[in-house]
Amino acid sequence: MQDYPGPLSRRDLIRRTAIGAGLLALGPLAQACSSNSGSSASGSSTPKRGGTLSFGRSTGVFLFDPANAFADNDVYTCDKIFESLYVTTPQGTLVPWLVLGHTVSSDGKTYTFTLRPGVKFSDGKPLTADDVVFTVMRCARDTAGPLSYLDVAIKSMHATGTQTVVIELTQPWAPFISDLSCFCNAIIPKNFNGQEPKAFFKEPIGTGPFVVKQWTPGTSLTLARNPVYWQRGKPYLDEIQFPIIADQNQRIIQLKSGTIDIAGSVPGAAVSGLKSDSSVTVGIFPSWDVDLLLMNEKLPMFADLHVRRAIAHAIDRKAISAAATFGTAPPAGSFFPPSVQFYDPHAPVLEYNLAAAKSELSQSHFPHGFSTSLLIPSGNDQYASTAQIIQSELQKLNIRVAIQSLDDAAYHQEFQTFHHEMFLNWSVNDITDPDDMCTFQCVPKGGGSYSYYTNYNNPKAINLVRLGEITQNTAQRARIYAQLQALVSADAPYIPLDYPPYSYAWRNNVHGFKGIPSGTYRLESVWMD
Amino acid sequence: MSDTWRYVGTRLLHAIPVVFGVTVATFLLLHLIPGDPARQLVGLHASPAAVATVNRRLGLDGSLLSQFRDFLSRLLHGDTGTSFFYGVSTRSLIVSRLPVTAALVALAALFCVVITLPLAIIAAVQKDRLTDHAIRVIPLVGLGMPAFWIGILFILIFSVKLPWFPVGGWGISYSDHLRALILPALTAALGIIPLLIRSLRAGALDVFNADFIATARAKGLREGRVLFLHVTRNALIPTVALLGLNIAYLIGSTVIVERVFDLNGLGSLLLEAVGNRDFPVVEGVTLVFAVAVVLVNLGTDLVTAQLDPRIRLR
Repeated sequence: MQDYPGPLSRRDLIRRTAIGAGLLALGPLAQACSSNSGSSASGSSTPKRGGTLSFGRSTGVFLFDPANAFADNDVYTCDKIFESLYVTTPQGTLVPWLVLGHTVSSDGKTYTFTLRPGVKFSDGKPLTADDVVFTVMRCARDTAGPLSYLDVAIKSMHATGTQTVVIELTQPWAPFISDLSCFCNAIIPKNFNGQEPKAFFKEPIGTGPFVVKQWTPGTSLTLARNPVYWQRGKPYLDEIQFPIIADQNQRIIQLKSGTIDIAGSVPGAAVSGLKSDSSVTVGIFPSWDVDLLLMNEKLPMFADLHVRRAIAHAIDRKAISAAATFGTAPPAGSFFPPSVQFYDPHAPVLEYNLAAAKSELSQSHFPHGFSTSLLIPSGNDQYASTAQIIQSELQKLNIRVAIQSLDDAAYHQEFQTFHHEMFLNWSVNDITDPDDMCTFQCVPKGGGSYSYYTNYNNPKAINLVRLGEITQNTAQRARIYAQLQALVSADAPYIPLDYPPYSYAWRNNVHGFKGIPSGTYRLESVWMD
Repeated sequence: MSDTWRYVGTRLLHAIPVVFGVTVATFLLLHLIPGDPARQLVGLHASPAAVATVNRRLGLDGSLLSQFRDFLSRLLHGDTGTSFFYGVSTRSLIVSRLPVTAALVALAALFCVVITLPLAIIAAVQKDRLTDHAIRVIPLVGLGMPAFWIGILFILIFSVKLPWFPVGGWGISYSDHLRALILPALTAALGIIPLLIRSLRAGALDVFNADFIATARAKGLREGRVLFLHVTRNALIPTVALLGLNIAYLIGSTVIVERVFDLNGLGSLLLEAVGNRDFPVVEGVTLVFAVAVVLVNLGTDLVTAQLDPRIRLR
């Protein structure tokens, strides 16, 4: 069984695209294809066609518009209906999806894409270059789109014939293919297939393996097989139902009793219990997330480098991993998660060391400690435990921490308007290239986030992020990002605590399920017996 | 009969300021607590410009007063607005969820009645004996334990160990729905039943000592007839009033019960909408709850009047 398409040799691609220069993205393709063959973990034989999968998720779906999707389950549903030009494999690499490949001009500013022949929208119309131009320009120009900033490098684009798309960039942009792979750039038919956007997204038409069969907002959602899907024989499933099960205990009980076939967002505390159930398989997949302790540098104590470094030395990340995540999330070092491109396993880290912490604090303007607060979202058991551990560790430095727990909306407003002192949150990379998270976390004016609401502002770090964007050579980029990881580690604007995985559990009759580091999962290769 | 209708009309007119007050209070509270729907919608990456664009689209860029004016004018036209998150009318979201919650509350109320009546009368008849003590004490457990805990226990016992009921969800057919509602309705009812039993038992004991019961017995009526026709009917009057009050509480408790049993009713819709700051949905559901409470109270008064001819409806 082949999970990822594109059985094209390098020679095939060159012949078919008829353009020789700068073939990127082929290494990952070959790698992904070889490492991904074979069926599910349970090792069953030939995939069976048919069946309805019931996938219990914590929330419903608000909308099907990829360019405006932000909530997790909106994203994880949009990408079943619409597809991007490139997609990420479970290994975190990119493969060409709706394209055969691309070439880059020698100045790194012109990209030419050849569309995969035979791809149709679910209404039977063929995918054309005009659809691609329409979609990507729509996303790039939408100032209110949650991720439209990813398309910042695009200057213009046009179709050459029906199968070729040319994109001009304002400057060479190394993360560009990765940016295009984001769900926000998933392809929709030109001009919404002649409909009003609202009407179109009510009954959306995409090239993806599934179509919306029935949707009652906030109540139920059923997807059905797209009969004209371009990967022959797929998807295997007839239908997928997404019951909304907000309560995590309910999700697990419904899985154990066989009411649902897969449960999403399995909490760390439930993993060992589920592993002992012989009818269920637990899948823990690496993510692009990092749990972080973030400090507001607008405040004098956190503007003090020695205070931040003291806190970094004082926190036992192994204890947090063991107690707060039940060992499911490995303790963190670099602010890059290991699954993201250019992660440096040797990046220097401010290790847990109380003597070093005390020495750092004694060099600061606050040698005798201070009082502060730590903001967390309510209802998050892992963060509540993490906050308690941090509170007791910092007590040893006479840093007195009051834990402030607010409901999700109030919590977000509090730190986004800089009314916080410290807060816990996770960083999310939406694409396989680290540029997304680097801009968000190191560039005060980038991504609208003031360095993830820390106000961290180191010109050296900003310069490295910008250099990483325009450098085309992969080895050079690796060196740049290694420097950046070392620099951020020493500056400690935030302290990486652990690398949380995505956890799912499914009944043993489900095969071929794999999580992708962005948090989503592809379902066209999933089958049931 | 025309008196009754006039009474109903007057009460409904009186309800208008109550419902209006609840709606206005909800609007103000929602807009005054921290939490920004636009930030919830566009997420962490949003620039201030993006947040401003979304606020404009949602009509949240004006002053509180002008937003309040818009809100009132919509409301007077019977329009509760469009959900910020789902992009569909609040009314359609409520209509799709209302049957679940209405059925849950109705079944819970039915459980209250069928469990309370026999137990309270037995306790009254067996006054101060072991049965009486047991009936008064054991249900108190239901009052003492939070609904979510009772719900989880019920699921573990009656859905996991003994597979009699589904562990959660709403099912597809009507029989599925009924089976799905039994445990949640019982969970909701258990929080109220102890109060009702005590009230009805006390009422029955009062009535036992009344002269008209002595008369009934003296004229040779059988004890069963005395008990059901004379004692129960009279003792029920305060209990019905108490039940009416508690149905209002029941409507509120659906927020928790629906979540534990994975029922997608109005309670879970309200919980989600509050979390997201989906203002129109919160306002719409609160309006429905307020109207429901008013109607239940009115219904209670009408039933009490039917039970007791001494009560005049004015």
